[in-house]
Amino acid sequence: MQIMGCVALIAGCGSLGLWLAHRIRQRPVELRECLMALALLDTEIVWGSTPLPEAFSLVKERTDQPWQGFFAQLQERLQRGDSASSAWKATILTQNRHFCLKQEDWQVIGDVGKGLGRSDSHEQHKQLELVQRQLTLMKDQAGIWSDKQAKMWSYLGFLSGIAVVLILI
Amino acid sequence: MSLHYTLSVIRAPKVTLTIPAEESLSGPDQSTVLWADMARWFGEEIRSMLENIKAVPYREVEELRLRVGQPFMVRTSDRDLFINQEGGVTSPEKAYLVRREDLICALERMTQSSVYAAEEDLKQGYLTLPGGNRVGVTGEAVILRGQIQTLKHVSALNLRIAREIQGQGLNIIPLLIRADGMFCHTLLISPPRAGKTTLLRDLIRIISNGVPKIRLKGQTVGVLDERGELAGMWQGEPTYNLGYRTDVLDGCPKASGMNMIVRSMAPQVIAMDELGHADDVTALLDALRTGVRILCTAHASSLEEALLRPTLAPLLEQGVFERLVVLSRKQGPGTIDGVYDLKTGRIL
Repeated sequence: MQIMGCVALIAGCGSLGLWLAHRIRQRPVELRECLMALALLDTEIVWGSTPLPEAFSLVKERTDQPWQGFFAQLQERLQRGDSASSAWKATILTQNRHFCLKQEDWQVIGDVGKGLGRSDSHEQHKQLELVQRQLTLMKDQAGIWSDKQAKMWSYLGFLSGIAVVLILI
Repeated sequence: MSLHYTLSVIRAPKVTLTIPAEESLSGPDQSTVLWADMARWFGEEIRSMLENIKAVPYREVEELRLRVGQPFMVRTSDRDLFINQEGGVTSPEKAYLVRREDLICALERMTQSSVYAAEEDLKQGYLTLPGGNRVGVTGEAVILRGQIQTLKHVSALNLRIAREIQGQGLNIIPLLIRADGMFCHTLLISPPRAGKTTLLRDLIRIISNGVPKIRLKGQTVGVLDERGELAGMWQGEPTYNLGYRTDVLDGCPKASGMNMIVRSMAPQVIAMDELGHADDVTALLDALRTGVRILCTAHASSLEEALLRPTLAPLLEQGVFERLVVLSRKQGPGTIDGVYDLKTGRIL
C-alpha cells in the first residue's frame, strides 16, 4: 500500500512537470504559427485587398489549432457586425486559455487589433510588419529559453516527487 | 479593385416597384423590414433610430444624409426630413446631431472593417453596398503627385437607395427602335437624382427580354457595371432583374471592360452608367466599330449642357448617338422631359 502511494505521488509530480515542460515547448511553436498567420493576413490585405472576414476565413483554413479557433471566432464576430479592433480584443480574451502564450506575447499580438482594417493597405502592411518583427524576437528568445526550462521541469517533476516520498518515509 | 462582399453579408431585400406601384411593398410591415435591413450599416445610435422610424415609409426614401455636426437627414423625393433620437421626424434644431464616431462606425460596417479593400472606390468618392445602394463619401483628400490617394477625416456620407422600377422604359422603348428593329445608339441624360440609373436598368431588362407587342426581339446585352449599381451583383448573381439575355461585367472599369465584353460575350447592345471619363469615350468609339449598339447615361440637364461637357461633346458632334433621352424631376424622379432624334433634331 505504502509502495503504491509512493509510486502514485512520484507519477503525479512527474506528470505535472511534464505538463509544464510541454507548455513551455509549445510557446515558441504557437508564436511561429502566429507569425505565419500574420504573414498570410498581410499578403491577403496587401496583394489581394481581401476584406477581413474573408481573409480571416482563409487564414483559418491554413493554420492548425488553437490559431484555427482564434481566426474562426474573429471571422464570426466580424460577420456579426463587430469592428475589427473590438473583435480582435474580445477574441484574445475568450481564446487565450487555449494557448500556452505568456501575457507579454498577448500584449504584442493585441497590437495587431489597433487600427486593423482602418487604413489603406500600405499602412496596414507597416503595422503588421512591426508586430511580426517583435514576435520574431520573442519567438527566438522563447526558443532558447524553452530548451533549458522544458528539460528542467520534466526532471524536476519526478525529482520533487521522489523528494516528497523520501521526506514522508 | 473594388470592395466585394463575399462572405459576411446577407442578401439585402430590394425595393421593386412596378408602374402602377405595388401595394405589397407599401405596407408598414415591409417598410419596417427594409428599415431594419438598412440599419445594419450603422452604429448603435443611428441603427436604433432607423429601426424606430415609423413616420417615413421606406419606399419613399431616396437618400440618408450624415454630415458631422449636422442633423441626421432623410430625403424623400420632395422633402428633407430631420430625425430625432427616437426615430421621429422633427425640426433641424431638435434632430439628432451626427457625430464623427457615427461616420467612422458606419464606414467600418460598410467596408466590413476593411477600409483598405475599398481604397479604389474611396478614391472616386463612393462605396457600393450589396444590392446596389451607393454611398457617397466626402472628406479630406490625400494627394500624391496630383493623384488622389485616399480620403481621410471623412466628413459626410450620402447613402442613396437603389430602386428597381419596372415598366417605366416601356413608354419610351418604341422611340428607341429603328424601323428595321435595330436598337438606336441611345444616351440618357439628367441631373443627379433624376432616375437615370433606374431607367437604364429597366431599359436593359426590356431590350434583353424583348417586347413582342412592338415586335422587339430580345437582344444580348452586355452590361459594364463599373460601380456595381446596375445589377447589384452578389456572389455572381444579380440582385436586380436585368433580363434573360444579359451578361454583367461587374466592378470593371468601362474603358477596359468594353473591349473585354465585346470579345468574350458578343453582345448586340452594350449598356453602361455614367459616361464621363475620356478613356471611356475612346473605348466607346472603338466599340462602335465592332457593330454593337450603345445604351448609356451621363450627367447633364439638357442637350446644350451635354454639348458643353468636354467628354460628351465629341460624341454628340460626331453623331455617335441617334437618340437622346432627357430626364428631370419635374414630376418626381424619372420624369421624361423628351426623347430627341439627334439625326434630325426632332422631338419624338
